[in-house]
Amino acid sequence: MRLLGVRDVSKAFANGVQALGGATLDMEAGEFVSVLGPSGCGKSTLLRLIAGLTAPTSGEIEWPTGKPDIGFVFQEPTLMPWATALANVALPLKLAGVSRADRDARASEALGHMGLQGFEGNFPRELSGGMKMRVSIARALVTQPSLLLMDEPFAALDEITRHRLNADLLQLWQRTRFTAVFVTHSVFESVFLSQRIAVMAAKPGRIVTEIAVPAPYPRSSAFRTSADYAALCRIVSTELGKAMPAEWAT
Amino acid sequence: MRLRIIAPIVTGLLMLVLWEAIVRAFAIPHYILPGPVLVATTLVADWATLAPALLVTLRITLQALLAAVVVGVALAILFSMSRWIELSLFPYAIILQVTPIVAIAPLIIAWVDDVDVSLLICAWLVAFFPILSNTVLGLRSVDRNLLSLFELYGAGRWRTLTDLRLPAALPYFLGGLRISGGLALIGAVVAEFVAGSGGRASGLAYRILESGYQLRIPRMFAALVLISFAGIAIYLVLSLLSHLLLRRWHESAIGRED
Repeated sequence: MRLLGVRDVSKAFANGVQALGGATLDMEAGEFVSVLGPSGCGKSTLLRLIAGLTAPTSGEIEWPTGKPDIGFVFQEPTLMPWATALANVALPLKLAGVSRADRDARASEALGHMGLQGFEGNFPRELSGGMKMRVSIARALVTQPSLLLMDEPFAALDEITRHRLNADLLQLWQRTRFTAVFVTHSVFESVFLSQRIAVMAAKPGRIVTEIAVPAPYPRSSAFRTSADYAALCRIVSTELGKAMPAEWAT
Repeated sequence: MRLRIIAPIVTGLLMLVLWEAIVRAFAIPHYILPGPVLVATTLVADWATLAPALLVTLRITLQALLAAVVVGVALAILFSMSRWIELSLFPYAIILQVTPIVAIAPLIIAWVDDVDVSLLICAWLVAFFPILSNTVLGLRSVDRNLLSLFELYGAGRWRTLTDLRLPAALPYFLGGLRISGGLALIGAVVAEFVAGSGGRASGLAYRILESGYQLRIPRMFAALVLISFAGIAIYLVLSLLSHLLLRRWHESAIGRED
């Protein structure tokens, strides 16, 4: 069942920058898709368009089964520093008018899913970078959205933390089967996580090719060191290289 | 931490001893420069006259500060909600701020019948601008992504204001409040001087003027000491308030980890 269709979407900003020029992408419900591309290719703009935070200059965002609840994870944890981890996670519920007791219970449960039970009362500054990102993901998932948009969420983390969060994210996805759009500039991350990789090129931003990742789930850390993984990474790297501007290919 | 308290106290005591020594060694008459001991004894002896004057000045200062908070924050919220209102009014707020209070105080005192109200207006005029400009800055310094998040979850302007913009502006507001606390006292004292020269006030500044005319210099110093202490007390109370409100989350209130 098709959940989302990005139909030949372009976006030009008021300052004349053409961020996207004719991007097209289809998403099935329950799919995990990575959007891979060099920085400045309009990946973030594509996510903001899907989320409805900005409108396309031309083209269309189609929702064949109606616009679903959306969760959004930013590159930075984007937490309110004056609020506890629990209050930060409960925010979407508070804005939806859920009662105090109910939203605290659900936020606490969401924190638990991210391995943060016991940290409900901590303020963001008392948490490590990885923990803050876990709070951010818990907040995005607390409304049980059917579509989760992630904008390079682990780019600022160290590699060990990133690998753990990759594994935890996949586990959550397998349990609840939300549809995931994961923006990244890491070939390795996109291959490990997704069923399909949409490769973007810049100037103007567009999706140039799509690559299926046929490896089965669950994917353990053993997958990272397998020959299949290495072969897939090579294919995706080659495609990404083709998508880069000619002056980079030296 | 201990050094932070002990060092200034020792310095202060040394200065007082030096002052007393100079006054005694050169036999300076008390109507030119009274020593700290005489100032202290005068403070105690004239307490019955000075205490009510202190209360009058403090009352005007605190009322002006309260009015500055209410008007400053309300205007800042209006400005953050409407670019039109901000563009229309902000230049006039700046004009009010840069016009010296000494120059307009006589006008205000002449126009307003009630002395207390005219003093209040003067002190308020001096105090409100830091709160306004800091709060405007704070309301604007909101994380763009948090704003997007509120938009994504369908939060209206009011909800975004109460749950996002106001908490984000709190540290800025408290910074403005600390400046305004001192300025409200200065505004009140300046206005009293202007009003006092017309013989119509009863605060500490009026006591200073009066003592000057009567050459009761020790009492003048005692009143001055009270004004300084009032200013320090206001600053300390506002700093404590700021610390209590921010200590769990804001960088400014968090000590470095050793």
